[in-house]
Amino acid sequence: MSAPPTATDAATGAAAGAGPDRDGGRAGLPVRLLRHTAGRYRRRAPGQPRAVGYLYVLPALALYAVFLLVPLGQTVWLSLLHWDGLTAATWAGTDNYRALLTDPSLRAPFLHALSLLVFYAALPVALGLMLAAALSRFRVRGMTFFRTVLFLPQVLAMVVVGVAWRSILAPDGLLNDTLRAVGLGSLTRSWLGDYTWALPAVGTIGTWVETGLCVVLFLAGVQRIPRELYEAVRIDGAGPLREFFAVTLPALRAETAVALTLTIVAGLRNFDLIYITTSGGPGNATSVPAYEVYHRAFETNEVGSAAAMGVGLTVLIFALTVSVARLVEGRSEGRSR
Amino acid sequence: MTGPMTGRLERSATYGILALFAAISLTPVIGVLATAFGRQSSLDTGFSLPDGLNWSNFADAWTRGHFGTYLTNSVLVAAVVVTATAVLAVLAAYAFGVMRFPGSNLLFYLFVLGLTLPQEALVVPLYFDLRYWQLTDTYWALILPQTAQSLAFGVFWMRTYFRGSSRSVIEAARIDGASSWTTLWRVLVPMGRPALSTMVVIVFMWTWNEFLMALVMVSDEAHRTVPLGLAFFQGQHSSDTALLAAASVLIALPVVVVYVALQRRFIEGMLSGAVKE
Amino acid sequence: MRSARVTGTDSGTSPRRPHSRHRRRTVPLALAAAGMLLAAACVPGTDGSGAAGAGVPGAGATAKPDPSKAGKATLTVWDQEVRGGQNDELERLNAEFEKKYPNIRIKRVARSFSDLKTTLKLAISGNRPPDVIQANQGYPDMVAFVQAGLLTPLDDYAGLYAWNTRYPSTLLNLNRVSADGRDFGTGRLYGISQTGEYIGVYYNEDVLEKAGVKPPGTWGELTDALPEIKDEGELPVQFGNLDKYPAIHTFGVLQNQAGGAEEARESVFGRGKGFDNEPTREAARTLADWKKKGYIPEGANGTGYDDAAKKFADGEGAFLITGTWQLPDLKKSMGDKLGFMPPPPAERGAEPVTTGGQGLAWSVTSKSRHPQVAAAYLDFITSRHAADVMTEEGVLPAVPGSASREVPEGSVDEQMVEGWEQLNAADGLVPYLDYTTPDFYDSLSADLQGVVNGSLSPDELSSKMQRSYTAFQDKKNSQEKKRAEGKPKP
Repeated sequence: MSAPPTATDAATGAAAGAGPDRDGGRAGLPVRLLRHTAGRYRRRAPGQPRAVGYLYVLPALALYAVFLLVPLGQTVWLSLLHWDGLTAATWAGTDNYRALLTDPSLRAPFLHALSLLVFYAALPVALGLMLAAALSRFRVRGMTFFRTVLFLPQVLAMVVVGVAWRSILAPDGLLNDTLRAVGLGSLTRSWLGDYTWALPAVGTIGTWVETGLCVVLFLAGVQRIPRELYEAVRIDGAGPLREFFAVTLPALRAETAVALTLTIVAGLRNFDLIYITTSGGPGNATSVPAYEVYHRAFETNEVGSAAAMGVGLTVLIFALTVSVARLVEGRSEGRSR
Repeated sequence: MTGPMTGRLERSATYGILALFAAISLTPVIGVLATAFGRQSSLDTGFSLPDGLNWSNFADAWTRGHFGTYLTNSVLVAAVVVTATAVLAVLAAYAFGVMRFPGSNLLFYLFVLGLTLPQEALVVPLYFDLRYWQLTDTYWALILPQTAQSLAFGVFWMRTYFRGSSRSVIEAARIDGASSWTTLWRVLVPMGRPALSTMVVIVFMWTWNEFLMALVMVSDEAHRTVPLGLAFFQGQHSSDTALLAAASVLIALPVVVVYVALQRRFIEGMLSGAVKE
Repeated sequence: MRSARVTGTDSGTSPRRPHSRHRRRTVPLALAAAGMLLAAACVPGTDGSGAAGAGVPGAGATAKPDPSKAGKATLTVWDQEVRGGQNDELERLNAEFEKKYPNIRIKRVARSFSDLKTTLKLAISGNRPPDVIQANQGYPDMVAFVQAGLLTPLDDYAGLYAWNTRYPSTLLNLNRVSADGRDFGTGRLYGISQTGEYIGVYYNEDVLEKAGVKPPGTWGELTDALPEIKDEGELPVQFGNLDKYPAIHTFGVLQNQAGGAEEARESVFGRGKGFDNEPTREAARTLADWKKKGYIPEGANGTGYDDAAKKFADGEGAFLITGTWQLPDLKKSMGDKLGFMPPPPAERGAEPVTTGGQGLAWSVTSKSRHPQVAAAYLDFITSRHAADVMTEEGVLPAVPGSASREVPEGSVDEQMVEGWEQLNAADGLVPYLDYTTPDFYDSLSADLQGVVNGSLSPDELSSKMQRSYTAFQDKKNSQEKKRAEGKPKP
């Protein structure tokens, strides 16, 4: 198990700006720099022996270890067992993991999760960038209002979101009513009960939730881009499109990384939404790892398999967030050279 | 060069797009609100426009869904989780932010690890552990794991604040003979109220909205929190759209009120790269 | 605007040496991870200590329990009787019980069938399980609970309270599990049911009249009526299958009508050849065909079960094929327009056959602190008086009492009670298919959504059911053999 170093940096960086901090992004600085600033550090400490730091950290660490780190290890342990949660467990070795790769019914949830990411991450980021580009050309009035409204889906409990969207996507819900009203009655269907459309329908809910976050994030970034940059490319005779690719997009690189990280993680941890809207149905068309962990562990008594799925989900999240950060970092290094 | 005409056109087009996005954001919210005031006997299964303001829906949802109990539980759990997280995170973050000790980086990264860790990877053994300790179906089963998970964000966020806090202030306090403890509580925490309140509202929202832990750890009705109350209410009254919508409003309201009042804190906290659920 | 500074990031722009940083982090982290694993190498329960074992002794009651002597006690009851009539009936009985025994308080937790099913396992294996629960019969739930030692056998009470004579043995057998927790339908009694239930055909007289169709007297008349109703622009059969389980009921009825009743009944109890037979395929074909021809709604898989009932009450649909438990609610909103019958037989006047039996079993958990009070409660809510209360609320009691003879002539209630008596006399009840194997509820309900959708062919359905059936029977047989040879079970 290793922390996602680069993802952390992206996150740290974002917080650094947002919070009251000025130089908070130091977390990842190399040893050389640390040694260089060691003197300043010593001056920083308010005159107590350094070991007192452990005492400050201890209470939080104890709680964190018992209720987060140890269970994480236990999940790994459980994933190596065959266990029904009731009788004695037997050693499974890598059986559960092998099943994860070979059994289509266990692989399907991961494939569903990946397709959901198109709706949870790719689409909101694209929409957010487009809107940000449109707004980059002048100062917008009433920004606080728009920000508050656009960000609202983020603070609603997923249960409430699920209940609301179940009404919208129901066979005689708002969406179908609207389609009928505009003469597209042939497109109506029971969105959550349709084998082909249930997954995109759930994905759309994800897009609805995450787009606001991306827009707000990018808008903040866009307001920060110096006007002169735009004026410079405009003098070169650039249209809106080139303006977007030459100025807006590169300037929003860090925000893009943060947005992707946040939305990917949200898209893979969507147990509550699936539980409320489809319970993995119809058939197993919308089963995702987050839901399967619960279903297997607490309903069908396959604890080992559930744990393996949980580990798989964790690995997937780390792999994706790390590669997002790598991608962004790599491009930036290329540019600075 | 853009002329004033295109400028105005572009301006109104942009506002148009913004308004469209805002409308899409608000549609489900307004739909639920409108339905919540509708008639209970309505045979409509989707959103509907109310024919009046049926406030009684809220009272009915409140009593039939036992939301009084659930809300009390949610308030209690959220209060304890928020307080515990704030205190523990401030202590740990203070050490990480202004002190140097061997292994501090490693320990900090252990906390950061929790930022992206999915709950689904913890919930299975946690359930068996807590059951073994006789803690399932108690408030502790909700409070302890959620505090641990909130600490990841809390420590990370507050450390950022302590790192950024003014060196001269700490230095001055030290020269005045203040211990590290006094410096923290007398100087840094009062100064850090903005950062602290951001953390408080975010952790409050997460705890209030928590679903998976509440589903697995608590089967006892007396310890149930609101999100689960709504989920089961939906199972029982799936065709009473008005009641269901009224219940949804009751549950979302506390967080939305806090959000509207302190939206800037919410946004800055949530965009910091921290996600729990 | 502070969040405008969101990107005060140094990622990518600050000088860094990835290698040193990498090593610095990964080595201690790997150590920490290893430490965590070590600390974690024990999860409580993996040694089997979580299971109380199947051999929990009965409560050993020798006399009828007297709750009034039990002191102050709270009885926690988890049930799924959330619909109008059932809810009213149970609320009344609970109030009466509390009045009779003022020292007992009943804490009722009611939730929908699906929600009860998903949370019950967690609840009764927890530290403070409810005292009384409603468990679904068959291998997925009741047998699994008994195997884990979570339920109390009720045979003693059955003798003391004369449940053995109150109920016909066919109904009691559905609540039996063998002492070793392996076989369903035989052995110890782990619950009793309050209500009788069977899948019947509801019809809307207005819609039938509009289509010029009479209530069918035979199954052939019913199927012939479907295209006629459709041609009149009405929906022939209302159906909502978002909750997955309703299709099991419809499918069961179709399978019985296709002549599969006897084989299905045998197979549910593990004595049959399984589901690789023509009636099973025929039933799946019919279901898919109904969908294709528009006899059931296009959005069936996306409509909630209760929403569908609500739509039927609203005049959408000529027929609704579902259980007797919907009757009180439908009657309330439809009045005289509502008609009900057991699925009509193939020939006029022949004996009816349908899926059904009894409501979920009321069971006592083995960790209950008041098993005696719980048993008395079970007796109370299934007594003759309780049967009358149920009848008054429009609910079908498992054993109809005197009030059922007084229901108004020609009413839907009378049709329901008459159908129940006919079915019992003719031995025409086929147990729900989801009892068959531990994973049958999950797999069959998901697969039937596929059949409705047209993405799973009748042949595939039949062979999937058969595979699940034989796999489970083989597993049981091999365990049987191992035990006979005296080897420890795996």
